[in-house]
Amino acid sequence: MGDLLGLVLKRLGLGLVTLLVVSILIFFAVELLPGDIAEAVLGQSATDETLAALREQLGLDRPAIVRYFDWLGGAVVGDFGVSLVSGDRVTDAIADRFLNTLFLAAYAAVIAVPISIFLGVVVALLRNTVFDRVANVVTLTSISSPEFFLGYILILYLAVKTNAFPAIASLSGDMTFGELLHRTFLPALTLVLVVTAHMMRMTRAAIINLLASPYIEMARLKGMPPWKVIVKHALPNAWAPIINVVALNLAYLITGVVLVEVVFVYPGVGQLLVDAVSKRDFPIVQACCLIFAATFILLNLAADVGAILTNPRLRHPK
Amino acid sequence: MSMFVIGYYAALIAASCLAAYFQRRQVFLLLFSLTLVSFVLGIIGGVPALRVVTICAGLLALAAGTSYAFREFLIQISKPGLAKELRTAPLTAAFGMFVIFTYAIAGVFAPWIAPHGESEVISSAFAPADESMLLGADQLGRDIFSRIIFGARNSVGIALVATTLAFVMGALAGLLAAVKGGWFDNFIGRTADVIMSVPSLIFALLMLSIFGTNLWVIVVVVAVIYSPRVFRLTRAVAGNIVVMDYIEAAKLRGEGDWYLIRKEILPNSTAPLIAEFGLEFCFVFLLIAGLSFLGLGIQPPTADWGSMVRENATLISFGDITPLIPAAAIALLTVAVNFVVDWMLFRSSGLKEM
Repeated sequence: MGDLLGLVLKRLGLGLVTLLVVSILIFFAVELLPGDIAEAVLGQSATDETLAALREQLGLDRPAIVRYFDWLGGAVVGDFGVSLVSGDRVTDAIADRFLNTLFLAAYAAVIAVPISIFLGVVVALLRNTVFDRVANVVTLTSISSPEFFLGYILILYLAVKTNAFPAIASLSGDMTFGELLHRTFLPALTLVLVVTAHMMRMTRAAIINLLASPYIEMARLKGMPPWKVIVKHALPNAWAPIINVVALNLAYLITGVVLVEVVFVYPGVGQLLVDAVSKRDFPIVQACCLIFAATFILLNLAADVGAILTNPRLRHPK
Repeated sequence: MSMFVIGYYAALIAASCLAAYFQRRQVFLLLFSLTLVSFVLGIIGGVPALRVVTICAGLLALAAGTSYAFREFLIQISKPGLAKELRTAPLTAAFGMFVIFTYAIAGVFAPWIAPHGESEVISSAFAPADESMLLGADQLGRDIFSRIIFGARNSVGIALVATTLAFVMGALAGLLAAVKGGWFDNFIGRTADVIMSVPSLIFALLMLSIFGTNLWVIVVVVAVIYSPRVFRLTRAVAGNIVVMDYIEAAKLRGEGDWYLIRKEILPNSTAPLIAEFGLEFCFVFLLIAGLSFLGLGIQPPTADWGSMVRENATLISFGDITPLIPAAAIALLTVAVNFVVDWMLFRSSGLKEM
């Protein structure tokens, strides 16, 4: 077991290093600005005095390395500085929205994961039949559509034409949980559609890969019923790839969430990020990017660790 | 029970019986399960739901017919070797090729096809459709139909340029890394890892916030974001080739790296690279469309599908589907490319299961 722990710790360490490098990238990318932040913010209206004042205020007179460690130290304890536009603390702006985004992603994941694994297994069982082909075309279409296309179709048919769900996912503090689920159903459904298609295809591929192995052939030849072959022989070995698939797709949700939040005017981090980008509010952009990147790296890490835990062969790298 | 419903079920059941009689198991299964699904749909949604199913089936049949005809057309005009390959193409791939062909025509001949100019204001805002404007006017009174046609040129063109750039960078880096190996290989590999560990849309937003939303900035940023994918594939493919004996022989002959790449490795790795180009194009296209939709991509007044959806999105709350058309155009092209790529992967690598 100690061996296993070491391996997992090694992966975690590698993840941390990646995160560190990404944070360097995010911070120093802003340093690449032609001129500096102060010039970019003030733009045409810059005079020498205002520039100097803003530089002083932002601490731009210190070397970049020092500022980077300041920023990183702040980021670790959840302090990302102040917004250039509103002057509020970035953490205050992000905290609630981050919870909203997590809620939306979790909502989508709770629906999508069981459905897609179940459907993936079914489609793998029915492979090379006409149902499989239909499922292939449908999932491919769903993957290929931009998120906003799916979102607007859902708005058109489920909100405008039938009035079943609200088109705009506005949240207020005093909603019951049921109402919350109802209001955020359409954005969640959009994410579910995209992610389910991905996960179904990957689950199907993972299971079919397994079904080609000799021991499955053996089980089948000795006259085992197909469902038993799947449940008893294929599934235990399929967990590793399936966990991988789930984690990767949750990571994919992170990107999808930005567009979906904008479509449904959902008060999440994605919306904040897009606003900040168009206003060139760098502290918020950096903070959002770091949060998204950290979640993404974490989920990829979870995929790796999950694979190591469920597949003993990976514990002994050659 | 209206005549339509009776006719609907009669046609479905008759068709399933025919399929069963002629031993077409797959067709029968499909038709009969459609009948069963229609029972449920008919109870829930009533006649309109059945009408929707009929229309969808009709559209599918039309698409299948078109793709069949297009495949036959391609087989007729191509050389014998290519024709033999084309005969193995499934209908979905033929459909994909047809769609790509149509888009190419629309893009190349946009100024001649479109009835109005790209940014020409011809009527009041959101004017309804009439004879001169097939789909009505947008929020500034420009013809939506013309803008969709021009969008085929702009959106697809920019995505193509970005993909090509990403491809050239990624493939070159991958080939060089495979040939040179050592620290160069490691360095490029780690760089690619870092770029890939940030979600692409987030990375693009970060870069655009810094460099502004200039057209060339978008192209370069998107190319940089997607080149690691190409790099990894090329590195893997070329890595398998580099260890071959004929490469060893070429090295012993004293050939340079550039010769190895050009004459020995590239010709042996074209098939997976072409398929990857298609996939890559889909990703790039969707990313740029997403950026334009967020208002951070291709800037007005250039007609672009992503930003058209955003600009006319208010129409959706009145139950108008016009804003969905450019979005559907994006989806259709991506689906089409995916269909073709699926077939090419299947054909070239003997990859039986995707």
